[in-house]
Amino acid sequence: MATVDIHRLVKRYGTEEVIHGIDLAIRDGEFISLIGASGCGKSTLLRMIAGLEDISGGTISIDGREVNDVAPKNRDIAMVFQNYALYPHLSVADNMGFSLKLRDVPKPEIKRAVAEAAELLGLTPYLERMPKALSGGQRQRVAMGRAIVRKPRVFLFDEPLSNLDAKLRVQMRTEIKALQRRLGTTSIYVTHDQIEAMTMSDRIVILNGGRVEQVGAPLDVYDRPANLFVATFIGSPAMNLIEATVRRDGDRLAADTDDGLRLPLDGYEVAEGTAVTVGVRPEHLTLAEAGTPGALAIAVDLIEPTGHETHVFGRLGRHQVVVAHSGRVTEAGSVFVTIAPGGLHLFDRTSGQRIDTAERS
Amino acid sequence: MRSLISTLPRRIGTAVAVALLVAWSLGPIYWSLVTSLTPPLHLLGTPSLWPREITFEHYAKLVGATSVSQGNAVQSVWPQFSAALVNSLVTSGLATVVTVVIAAFGAYAFVRLEFPGRDLLFVAVVATLAIPAYTVMIPLYRLMISLKLIDTYTGITLIYVSAFLPLALWLMRSVYQAMPISLEEAAWLDGAGRIYTLVHIVLPLSAPGLIASAILTFLNAWGQFMVPLVFSPTLATKPLTVLIPEFVTRNYIDFGLMNAAGILAIIPPVLLVLFLNRYLVSGLMAGATK
Ligand SMILES: Nc1ncnc2c1ncn2[C@@H]1O[C@H](COP(=O)(O)OP(=O)(O)O)[C@@H](O)[C@H]1O
Ligand SMILES: [Mg+2]
Repeated sequence: MATVDIHRLVKRYGTEEVIHGIDLAIRDGEFISLIGASGCGKSTLLRMIAGLEDISGGTISIDGREVNDVAPKNRDIAMVFQNYALYPHLSVADNMGFSLKLRDVPKPEIKRAVAEAAELLGLTPYLERMPKALSGGQRQRVAMGRAIVRKPRVFLFDEPLSNLDAKLRVQMRTEIKALQRRLGTTSIYVTHDQIEAMTMSDRIVILNGGRVEQVGAPLDVYDRPANLFVATFIGSPAMNLIEATVRRDGDRLAADTDDGLRLPLDGYEVAEGTAVTVGVRPEHLTLAEAGTPGALAIAVDLIEPTGHETHVFGRLGRHQVVVAHSGRVTEAGSVFVTIAPGGLHLFDRTSGQRIDTAERS
Repeated sequence: MRSLISTLPRRIGTAVAVALLVAWSLGPIYWSLVTSLTPPLHLLGTPSLWPREITFEHYAKLVGATSVSQGNAVQSVWPQFSAALVNSLVTSGLATVVTVVIAAFGAYAFVRLEFPGRDLLFVAVVATLAIPAYTVMIPLYRLMISLKLIDTYTGITLIYVSAFLPLALWLMRSVYQAMPISLEEAAWLDGAGRIYTLVHIVLPLSAPGLIASAILTFLNAWGQFMVPLVFSPTLATKPLTVLIPEFVTRNYIDFGLMNAAGILAIIPPVLLVLFLNRYLVSGLMAGATK
């Protein structure tokens, strides 16, 4: 168990900088996810923590001790690789016991530790098998077993579930989370799957092009995205964005679009004339009866039932929008929606940063 | 019907190609075998595809204490033959072991260690394969004289290693390059050092490559003629390849003896290949990833 502190971390490959000064403090026992599009530097960051990539600038400390120049084998970190990286010539038991054997742990003790981990992961019947005689999910478990058997200070996961089929992925997701709870080991989990990140993590870190866009508890990030990138990245279907300009109408503020839409901005304090982007999540557009005060008319293009909810794709003025409705929706040429209370997000269009209501900020 | 028309010529073509290839590679060996079993007198007549009469007198001359040649009792050549056989085995064996060990470690450095000029150095090493041996023969001879290494196992082995290492290095480099680095990274994180990882993880998985290098090197060394012709003047290190042509005397070419010796000289490499072939299985990496 340990804290991991990352300070002004930079990674360069030759002259190309791929990590641009990341700061991150990971708490003891925390499960933290790094999420971002492919190529944003998630693996690179994780591998730098593991010691598999050199650090071009800044520091990484584990339990307060800087480890920039500590070899991977002395960092007391275990990593689960995307492709599992099992030793193909060793049995499951030997794969799991490899690290203990290297530490000169006596044989009976290795056997006990391996048996214990195997029990935890449901691998007991397979201990004598070779990796090639295992299914994908079992190999994934062996990779986990190899990591937990030696009780490291930190677990690193690099997209460990991306090679599994959808059903197994959901199952392993819960298993990994439960295991981490039980062991209480600080864990850093890389994924490009936001559902994984949201469901498993204490906090998530949203990366974009080698920079941190936001760090926070999953629901905080979902409810109060710090900028336009996070707003559109987290959530599916993505948040609806409407470009507008702030206008004052008597003593009330409103966002006016150039196609004649007016969205009231109650509680905000923004200078008149500011270029803003208004964001509303699909589920915060509530279907309403025609004639409801403040209701907005949407011209329907397509209705997509997913089973547990229905996605209505259409146009609000000239803006493409999606409505997520928890019930069934019958075919219609147009629908009316209202914005649920607190369902409106406001972003400064020039900086992309979130603008909060007056009492929050 | 159409498939028959299209496959029949193809089948005939394949069969002809295979037959040609077999004749090309086994023909000389068969010819040698026939010659080694033919009585000396018949050897002077018109050649025939199979021996009209089988004799083992050439083999007797090689391995017996004394034997009969052209009606006279003559000394067997066993002392020379056995000494040369040992020399062939020792020099080829030493060259193989040293070459494979150096290639196993050296190629790993070329793949996994970062050092300035790494690729340039590798290209330079491999480029030496393009240098014809005879261009370096005289300088090498002078060098070996000054090092007092002429007609020593050490000298011959050193020359063989320098000649065969580039190919083995090249082969092992591609073997390592094809290996997912995550296996090694997993071992490092598990607490293994570089050498331990190489010996316990990488080498066992590279066994097919190591064996292929060993076979190539051994066969190359076993068949060497020019190097030992120059550097092995006496039976202290003279191998079979150099001894056998010496069965040509001033007024008599003993074809039977030469071919009997040749047939015996084929046996060790064949045994080695048969033995190592068992380990040349592919699919060692199955189950490592995904
Ligand atoms: N060895 C390397 N040499 C040069 N560029 C690299 C290397 N490894 C990764 N990169 C670059 O660094 C960026 C981040 O890569 P990576 O961390 O693997 O992304 P992710 O895991 O988020 O998909 C990418 O743009 C990638 O092209
Ligand atoms: Mg990655």
